[in-house]
Amino acid sequence: MIAPDMHEVSICQGLVKVVLDEMAQRAIPAGALLRLRVVAGALHQIVPESLEFAYDLLTRETPAAGSKLELRVTPLAARCTKCDWRGTIEPPLFLCSVCGAGVELEGGDELYVEDLEIAES
Amino acid sequence: MSHTHIPIYRAVMEDSTRWAEATRALLTERRQKLFNFIGSPGAGKTALLEALARALKGRVQFAVIEGDCAGTRDAERLAAEGVQAVQIVTGAGCHLPAESVHQVLRDLPATGLDFVLVENVGNLVCPAAFDIGETAKLAVLSVTEGEDKPLKYPTLFRQAAATVLTKVDLLPHLRFNLAKCRAALHQIKAAAPVFELSGKTGQGIGAFADWLLRQK
Repeated sequence: MIAPDMHEVSICQGLVKVVLDEMAQRAIPAGALLRLRVVAGALHQIVPESLEFAYDLLTRETPAAGSKLELRVTPLAARCTKCDWRGTIEPPLFLCSVCGAGVELEGGDELYVEDLEIAES
Repeated sequence: MSHTHIPIYRAVMEDSTRWAEATRALLTERRQKLFNFIGSPGAGKTALLEALARALKGRVQFAVIEGDCAGTRDAERLAAEGVQAVQIVTGAGCHLPAESVHQVLRDLPATGLDFVLVENVGNLVCPAAFDIGETAKLAVLSVTEGEDKPLKYPTLFRQAAATVLTKVDLLPHLRFNLAKCRAALHQIKAAAPVFELSGKTGQGIGAFADWLLRQK
């Protein structure tokens, strides 16, 4: 049971599906995938170690086994709803750092596989 | 041996997003609204829905979708209020998947139904991360949980269109700091309303029901 990392496990299920589908489509042989880079916005609250742990576990006995996941967390990009200030914010503070009004998010919600690193013999 | 980098740029949640989009399209077509209630186990989500059932009776037609890891207790509680309730049992799943919600929605009547109220699995993290195609997410927080919960789980309170603070009838017996809780919610989402209510006494339910009826 891996309950403490449940959030990352459920996100990882989608991730592994995408990776295996890409490997099949591109005819990448088992074991040839060395690394994949994943970008996650800070809003997803992903703990990198937990996602890596889930990834190692869920790719066991699949063609992606042994590949390393590299997670890059992108900051929350915000725009003030009052004074139009733009910048990055740190959760849990979602207020404009100039005038203190609420902000709208313009980035930090993304979650995608950026690229795959393949060994070619 | 050389290494090649293959650019992918593919969304991790694409499957889930497709189901959520299908749900949004179906809701638009049927002119129905779907509200996704998210909160901890024991936050009072089912009691809130029971109280809402009484407040909405005769004003709109609605059904409830219940998500739980096991059992059908919540659906039975709502059926006792005369509400059409469907239970989704998620097993070990920590949130209601967009696909399950869509399948249940498809089987609900296309006409004569205005609202679908979804009680997600009790959890403050996972359900906030998975879009089910809802009209709005509602965060449910009880005053027995502590006023700093929003600061610990900001994503849910940020994603929610409103926060419902439940069990306020218990406030005289607790050290819950209401002002601090309001300030925490404000710093996370200044524009979102906070409804302070009690499913047990019915206090504040009317204002929340009115707000739901105004949602587009």
